[in-house]
Amino acid sequence: MDALQRYYFNWDIIKDTVPLLLRTLPTVAELLALGLLFAFIWGLTLSLMRLSRFRVLRWFAVVYIDFFRGLPLLLLLIFIYSGLAIVGADTGIDALILPPTIAAVSAFAICYAAYSAEVFRAGIESIPKGQTEAARSLGMTYGQAMRYVILPQALKTVIPPLTNELVALIKDTSLASVISVPELLFRAKEKMGVVANPTPLTVAAVVYVVFTIPLIRLAARLERRQKQPRAGTQIPADMAAQLPKGGGLL
Amino acid sequence: MIRLMGVHKSFGDLEVLRGIDLHVVKSEVVVIIGPSGSGKSTMLRCMNALEPIQRGTILIEGVDITDPKTDVNKVREKIGMVFQSFNLFPHKTALENIMLAPLKVQKKPREQVEHIARELLAKVGLAEKADSYPDQLSGGQQQRVAIARALAMQPDMMLFDEVTSALDPELVAEVLNVMRDLALGGMTMVVVTHEMGFAREVGTRLIFMDGGSIVEEGDPREMIAHPQEERTKRFLGMVL
Repeated sequence: MDALQRYYFNWDIIKDTVPLLLRTLPTVAELLALGLLFAFIWGLTLSLMRLSRFRVLRWFAVVYIDFFRGLPLLLLLIFIYSGLAIVGADTGIDALILPPTIAAVSAFAICYAAYSAEVFRAGIESIPKGQTEAARSLGMTYGQAMRYVILPQALKTVIPPLTNELVALIKDTSLASVISVPELLFRAKEKMGVVANPTPLTVAAVVYVVFTIPLIRLAARLERRQKQPRAGTQIPADMAAQLPKGGGLL
Repeated sequence: MIRLMGVHKSFGDLEVLRGIDLHVVKSEVVVIIGPSGSGKSTMLRCMNALEPIQRGTILIEGVDITDPKTDVNKVREKIGMVFQSFNLFPHKTALENIMLAPLKVQKKPREQVEHIARELLAKVGLAEKADSYPDQLSGGQQQRVAIARALAMQPDMMLFDEVTSALDPELVAEVLNVMRDLALGGMTMVVVTHEMGFAREVGTRLIFMDGGSIVEEGDPREMIAHPQEERTKRFLGMVL
């Protein structure tokens, strides 16, 4: 019992570590905010390409999404940071030598765009076909129907799954420690080395779950609320998921 | 106004329209009846290019909508359509549903559009529901908003696709009344329905479809009283 406390819940170390780790939160927030912003913009674009009637765009989106869903994020991270830097140093192209934070944000955006593209696609496909037909029959173009009718509804349905993506990215920001971004896990590991005690990891773990668990609960609650059948033309999400895939958009 | 010539339409191997010829002139109220699967809704949906056709020609006010060079969005502005499942936009109020297309498609000024929209809501008897969302309205109210939404584009003709089929019986009349007023006002209408009373009272022409073809057409009262074709007799015997 004493050993457990000494190694994992060492009060003196906790007192030191907490302020140290809290100071990394702006860095974590920056990784998250920028990563998600670009991931969602690019992911939405990819989902629209995936549903496009132009085969080349569809094909590109499928290949992109499958590739980056299948690729380890850590590999991409190291590739963008170290892999490019080596080539940059060798050839004298300085633009290839990226600051670690920018490399991390890029890797997050590239991968999470692929994940979120599938979420956006499911959301768009969950909107009943009659919505598109009603919009088109009023003379709206495909783009207008998307923008004013389909996307406003689809974006609402994807809030719970996107919250889950946010949780996943909070955890994945820790990968950036590998390329020496001074974020939460990086500082915790550093401190662990200094004090030769794993208690800083415990503190880091607590900080992570303090943020992730409420978001996990929130996503579950939002999901439950959306599943509640509403009167009128609303189709429950689980039924909508069974509607014919593809070709649902004029 | 609407002219179909030799229209063929298939879903895969299934031929749903087998050579339809139809000419609808201004202020006609053409009522289309027939058993389910007879192709009547498909024909209606072809008229504003919601369904592509494999063979034949469809002219809307002289414009060939099967021509790939035709801007179907422009043509659709002239054709109002009302659906069985209402298809109101659930994220917008009744008023916003009506205003959306005139604002974004016709790019009319907001005050003018709102004025028209409120007038149309009053016309369908829902002036006080302007700020209600679709899920706060009954089926009959939703369908009347849908009619107002289509009318807001000031179309030259209106297509009605079984618009009362999803309604509770006591709500059917309020929708049919709106449609009757519209017909009396001289609107050109093509109405797919099972409401024989509406066909008899309001229709100027009745068309019976079966198996993807027009089997019989004529004056509604005449045809309901004295159908000529065997299939028409059998169908009318079942629905009347």
